[in-house]
Amino acid sequence: MPHLTLDKVSVHYDGQPAPAVERVSLDIGKGDFVVLVGRSGCGKTSLLNVAAGLVEPARGQATIDGRPITGPGSDRAVVFQNDALFPWLTARENVAFALRLRGVSADKRARRADELLSLVKLGDAGDKRIWELSGGMRQRVGLARALAAEPEFLLLDEPLGALDALTRERMQTTLLDLWAAAQVGVLMVTHGIEEALVLATRIVVLAPGPGHIVQTFETHFGRRYAAGEPVRAIKADPAFAAARAELTDAIFEGEAA
Amino acid sequence: MSVGAYSERPGAKAGENDGFSVPWSRPRPKRAVVSARLVSAITILVLLAVWTVSASLQLVSPVFLPSPAAVWAKFIVVARDGFVDATLFQHVLASLWRVFAALIAAVVVGVPVGLAIGISRIGRGVFDPLLEFLRPIPPLAYLPLIIIWFGIGEPSKILVIAIAMLAPVALSTAAGVRSVSRERVDAARSLGATRAQVIRHVILPSALPSILTGLRIALGAGWSTLVAAELVAATRGLGFMIQSAAQFLVTDVVVMGILVIAIIAFALEFAIRRVERVLVPWAGRE
Repeated sequence: MPHLTLDKVSVHYDGQPAPAVERVSLDIGKGDFVVLVGRSGCGKTSLLNVAAGLVEPARGQATIDGRPITGPGSDRAVVFQNDALFPWLTARENVAFALRLRGVSADKRARRADELLSLVKLGDAGDKRIWELSGGMRQRVGLARALAAEPEFLLLDEPLGALDALTRERMQTTLLDLWAAAQVGVLMVTHGIEEALVLATRIVVLAPGPGHIVQTFETHFGRRYAAGEPVRAIKADPAFAAARAELTDAIFEGEAA
Repeated sequence: MSVGAYSERPGAKAGENDGFSVPWSRPRPKRAVVSARLVSAITILVLLAVWTVSASLQLVSPVFLPSPAAVWAKFIVVARDGFVDATLFQHVLASLWRVFAALIAAVVVGVPVGLAIGISRIGRGVFDPLLEFLRPIPPLAYLPLIIIWFGIGEPSKILVIAIAMLAPVALSTAAGVRSVSRERVDAARSLGATRAQVIRHVILPSALPSILTGLRIALGAGWSTLVAAELVAATRGLGFMIQSAAQFLVTDVVVMGILVIAIIAFALEFAIRRVERVLVPWAGRE
């Protein structure tokens, strides 16, 4: 079973007096949905970039299935806040990008791209240009593009951060559907407390100065959705409100008023 | 000139500059664009009228300023019968061929050079000073050296134009490469792209709008180098035609040649803007 592991990872950017992250350990298994939350400057994105292989840790090690991570790879596809799609390609060609890099034949990759677009409910948008799509649709294309690489892990860097509240809510269920369908481990960074609770199987709360873990919550709301319970009902559950209060306290603990 | 005229603080230098400072701060209404075009059209018509009147009243000798009618008549004659052993069409073709051959040479050299400047520190260290050295030198200054090195044939003429085009192509390419979004590159790498694939599939297409802008600037620069390039040992070309005409004081051909050069430059600019819209429809829409 694949594992993405950060072992006592510290991140120190050139020219910065203090490290951004100090001795953080994480373990994400297949089927986990791990969400990193915390105030600005707590190193959430730095950790995600270490897992992606885009940032090299100053100390500690990141491994996937025991192998050290030395650079980015398609076993860990990243989706960014700003979709980072390629505007010179159609939606379908964007989704098929990873397959094209691997030399998959044109009609095979078009077929696979259409399947993935249907999975994110954009089945008829294959020929659209990127600038013809709304923010939510773009993020769906971005997710489909990441899944086309057949990754073992999805790394999501505030993927819903730029969306309006309603679109965001709808995208949360899309994420849960994809997570269930694609059988991947997810590491996600978010600012949204409710979002973290709805999605995560585990929430890791980080605090700045330098970034470290203050608390870890095992949650089950995402699995309840996967088991068929509607999101509204989950959110209306008093247990959800209680978890939310507890999580909020953990995030703002120790912060000067 | 008081600084207050540009101040956006409402209280600053009140009274003194009010009449000037207020309109600056307001957004311009859309019809301002239309009226600017109208003013341009009127300006051209007025200049044509002044030209016609001064020529017909013989205010200036026709040797210095032939009438518009004479220039038009000359245009017809040169187009049909030619001037210095070639028709106008042949002159235009000779010049266009030189400029486009130079453009291809400038792209073949300039785009890779710009790419090297944009993606590698060594590339930037090597090429940046060379381009900065080359860029401000007027073509007439290096023309003699090129003739000494490469003779008076066609390659020298194309080279003179290509050198003028090289810097805009390379520097625009470099600017385009440097402005590629970090996230796009990272996304491609995390989808499994190798360094070469990132360059081919992400950096080059991202830089394409900027490269095309460079081509547009280069065409303008190259076209304005035309007369210098055709200064020595040309037998055809618009620049050559103008110089021959000047030597015999055939002013109407000179004026006509200048106008043809201007009109072709305008048409080239228009054409490449169309090409931009077809090739990079996403530019400015991201």
